[in-house]
Amino acid sequence: MSEETSPPTPRAAGKAVPMFSLGRVRTIAGSTVTQLVRMKTFYFLLAFALVVVAVGNFNIPTTPAKELSMIKKVSFGTMDLFAWLFAIVATALLIPRDIEDRTLYTILSKPVRRIEYLFGKLCGVLVVVGTSLLAMYAICAIMIFARENLYISSEYEAMTASGQYSEAEIAQQISLIRQQGLRAELGIAVLASFFKASVVAAVTIFLSTFASSSLFTIIVSILIFLIGHAHTMATNFWLHESNHSIFVQILVKVVRILIPNYQLFSFSEGIVQGEAVVYALVWQMGGLTAGYLLVFLLLSLLIFVDKEF
Amino acid sequence: MKRLFQKIPRVLWVLTGLAAFGIARSPVENHLRTELAGAHMLLPPPGQGAFEQMSQSALIGTLGGLRSLVATYLTLEAYEHFSTKSWEDLRQTYQIITNLEPTDESHWVAVIWHIGINATANMELDRKLPRFERERRFKEYAFQAIDLAEKGIKQLPKSAAIRIQLAEVYREKLKDNCATSRVYGETIGLPDAPGYVRRFHGYFMARCPGKEKEAYAYLISLYREGESQHLPTLIKEIKVLEEKLEIPSPQRIPDADPDRPKKAPAKRPNVLPGGIVVP
Repeated sequence: MSEETSPPTPRAAGKAVPMFSLGRVRTIAGSTVTQLVRMKTFYFLLAFALVVVAVGNFNIPTTPAKELSMIKKVSFGTMDLFAWLFAIVATALLIPRDIEDRTLYTILSKPVRRIEYLFGKLCGVLVVVGTSLLAMYAICAIMIFARENLYISSEYEAMTASGQYSEAEIAQQISLIRQQGLRAELGIAVLASFFKASVVAAVTIFLSTFASSSLFTIIVSILIFLIGHAHTMATNFWLHESNHSIFVQILVKVVRILIPNYQLFSFSEGIVQGEAVVYALVWQMGGLTAGYLLVFLLLSLLIFVDKEF
Repeated sequence: MKRLFQKIPRVLWVLTGLAAFGIARSPVENHLRTELAGAHMLLPPPGQGAFEQMSQSALIGTLGGLRSLVATYLTLEAYEHFSTKSWEDLRQTYQIITNLEPTDESHWVAVIWHIGINATANMELDRKLPRFERERRFKEYAFQAIDLAEKGIKQLPKSAAIRIQLAEVYREKLKDNCATSRVYGETIGLPDAPGYVRRFHGYFMARCPGKEKEAYAYLISLYREGESQHLPTLIKEIKVLEEKLEIPSPQRIPDADPDRPKKAPAKRPNVLPGGIVVP
């Protein structure tokens, strides 16, 4: 008994490659994550933990609320710094390294679209940034929680022992400490840093598609980052100093149009200082981040689509 | 179309794309900035004079998203200056800190406390300096603290903590009762203002020359609010003003002077029934 198998039809053999495949993007993102992990990226967490422990043990004469605020500011400032700096350096290194290792030729010789390659690389960087931010947040949350409870118990004991304070006054003092302690809203501050790092990564991947070296990409990306932070405030100064001259007005508009407004993504600062979160605005910031990612990815593709290697 | 796409240099396409996106996002970002600043999630740029604005822009712009981190580091540095009594360095460090985080009330309170209370106290005690120099620096630091407080109030008009710290400088260092009363008066009704500022406003007004009648009327109105306001200092101040203003006896408050020692109850003679006196 023999089973007949029909030979593959020419149509099946030359099966059209789908325009976009999430599976291929996932594979490239996975390999990017592995590539970055092999660069011993997560060792940074040890340094971060040391910073948090050190700042948590500063014995300066200040109030518990102020000390908690200090721990939060240092931790979230370091997280933000790590996120955007890592986004720049990692993204700037990836494409040149793929060219150097000749991995890029192997990937692009397969039925992989260039947009899938770029998107996969970006997703890989964002996965590593996101994981690192979560790990740093966990370290920072443990420290804040421990210090908060320590301060609350010591303040409670001191106020009760003195016998001069009513229950309402004790509760008021404790709520003052809790206000600067571990709150669910701090998660949104981490999200804000992630949004900022995502935009920075998208801009860097765009730059790296036409840059001649990683060094150039890193330097230009950092410069763009700094200009993007300063231009809103510097604009008022320039306009004031130049008596609103037409030339300066045009220059300011060009800068505003071409350079992303990174200052807008610093909304974690208010949250860290204890301000309430307006979730509708967080959603809108998420939408803006998605817009930046889409546009800069498409612009990167515009350059990368027929680039010869 | 494809030929046209290939003919036009790629740079032009990219620039057009960037410009189109920039124009499209500009109103969205302006709206978001206003909303985020309104919700206090985004720290607003400090609103001061043009010259100061220049240094702030340079600082904030250069430091970008790291201003909280840098401000915290500088707070530690300022503490180092406090430990070594380097008051000028401390003031300069706090100038940067308050420029970086102008909306953080605790920085303003700390610098007023350091310069207005600690530095002036150091000038009272530091015997290494000649007396004239100490007195001159004492006044200089006290006025610097007042200047800093005014800047802080300009940034945070609703801050009770900055005003209370300023009042302490007037009260403890400059012994200016009129200014102390004025600052406590400005604090009344502000969010987070403690209840005692209403009384303190009256107490220091009572000691301000020429304001005795106004102070008496104010303190009496507080006294009439009820038992909760019948505190020893309030009663004492009213008693002093009653004497000073020669208020007629029927109009005076019935409370005893808290500082006058209470009469000891008359000791009953040790007389036993039957008229026997025990020595």
